[in-house]
Amino acid sequence: MLFRILEVYARPDFPEKLWQHVLLSLAALLVAIAIALPVAILIRNTRLGAAIAINIGNVGRAVPSLAILALALPLLGIGFASALVALTALAIPPILINASTGLREVNRDVIDAARGMGLSGGQILSRIQLPIAAPVIFAGIRTSAVQTVASATLATFIGGGGLGDLIVEGYSRRGPEILLAGAIAVAILAIITEVGFGALERAFTPKGLKIAQKRGK
Amino acid sequence: MKNRTKLIRAVPMLLAGLALLLVVACGNVGGTDSSGSGGGGGPTITVGSKNFTEQYILGNMYVQALAANGFNAVAKLDLGSEQIADKALQNGQIDLYPEYTGTALVAIVPYKGNPADLNSPQATYEAARKGYAERSPADTMLKPAPFNNTYGIFVRKSVAEKNGLTNMEELAQDSKNLTFISYSEFQNRSDGYPNVQKNYPAFDFEEIKIVNELGLRYSGLESGEGDVGVGFTTDGQLTSDQLVVMKDPKSIWPFYYPAPVVRSDVLKKYPKIEKVLNEVSASLDVETMRELNGQVDLDQEDPEDVAKQHLQEAGIIE
Repeated sequence: MLFRILEVYARPDFPEKLWQHVLLSLAALLVAIAIALPVAILIRNTRLGAAIAINIGNVGRAVPSLAILALALPLLGIGFASALVALTALAIPPILINASTGLREVNRDVIDAARGMGLSGGQILSRIQLPIAAPVIFAGIRTSAVQTVASATLATFIGGGGLGDLIVEGYSRRGPEILLAGAIAVAILAIITEVGFGALERAFTPKGLKIAQKRGK
Repeated sequence: MKNRTKLIRAVPMLLAGLALLLVVACGNVGGTDSSGSGGGGGPTITVGSKNFTEQYILGNMYVQALAANGFNAVAKLDLGSEQIADKALQNGQIDLYPEYTGTALVAIVPYKGNPADLNSPQATYEAARKGYAERSPADTMLKPAPFNNTYGIFVRKSVAEKNGLTNMEELAQDSKNLTFISYSEFQNRSDGYPNVQKNYPAFDFEEIKIVNELGLRYSGLESGEGDVGVGFTTDGQLTSDQLVVMKDPKSIWPFYYPAPVVRSDVLKKYPKIEKVLNEVSASLDVETMRELNGQVDLDQEDPEDVAKQHLQEAGIIE
């Protein structure tokens, strides 16, 4: 069985499907960050804005991925574009929720102190709020990334390509090695994403925060 | 205070009860009648079917026709693939089910040679019938219904008319300007697209889109996102006059004519089964089957009702 799975990876169409999957996931994630982060930053000081963002985020998380994929169809037809739009919509909620919460959770005393020191709003954002919120924001991005890699499997139903093609093919042709090859590939991609973004998270955590975390503050 | 506590404690119980009810209710909702009785007194005959629309319709027709002819017909439809259905047949869990002549040769009975090389539906049926009779326990494949449910390559009407396309060879010649909407299974199984290219080597589509959802493939064609599609010749969607099925002069696929396959010992005990089911088979043709499939897949009707209506119109049941 293992050998048959490896044979699937040697198929000429495999690299293309792998690349489609990675491209789709990456593009959706980047666009989601580009949308969610600025929105979270814009509403960081308004309580109403934050509440709306959190609620939209929670609703977004609850909607089934396949439903959003189906909704994108009438707009953009079958193919990569529809899949991208749908996956982006799915990738936004975790980032939005985490970024919004992370920015708002920054200790008011610290911000007051910064204001007292004469820092402008923008400086407070870039020097205080973002660095402190960074671990939480990155955790949101990490969650979203892994979720996107997994959800990109569904693109197969609307002509978006990706590793989902292999899973469906394996299921239809009753070839468990094809199905497993696709599923294992997605799992490995998801693990790489998790580990990779975890490392990024640690890299972006300010040194001071790392020390504080270690001290158990 | 105490009463409120009791009330609060009752809530999780109520919710659990509701959840249980929901699960039970959902379990009973389904598009297909997976088990039920056709009624009638008389000897019990269990009818099976595989798990797609045409099979549900045929299965229900067999059940209803048998029930109207003095049998206690029990439905055990939605068995799964031909492997599962065949196993159930040989185990005696079902007494008969609808199978396709080509499928029998490809997947069930031992057959040396390529079933696609049999050049007539009759020859295909004879080979399948022989294969079934030689098994142990033996089965009898009754007379097939007179239509072929095989792969069909079809083209959008406007494209077909503009380029004068009527058959696969002509389509192959024009394929480099056309987009084909296909699906993973067809592209990768040896009797799918590779078989098409082998027999009509001129095929070289400008683009092949892989969409693993039948409804979306058809709607993609109708909306012009593709020019050529693939499906089964009895798909309900092919009742649309916007799609033209290409003729296959080289006959590259086996003939798949549906026929009831009955365990020979059951048939011997109740030979009337043959006459009843022959009548059902004879009442069908490709346009009718497409129509019936369309009623289920497009109009969301119940296969049981669709079968009943057809049998009534054909005068087989009241």
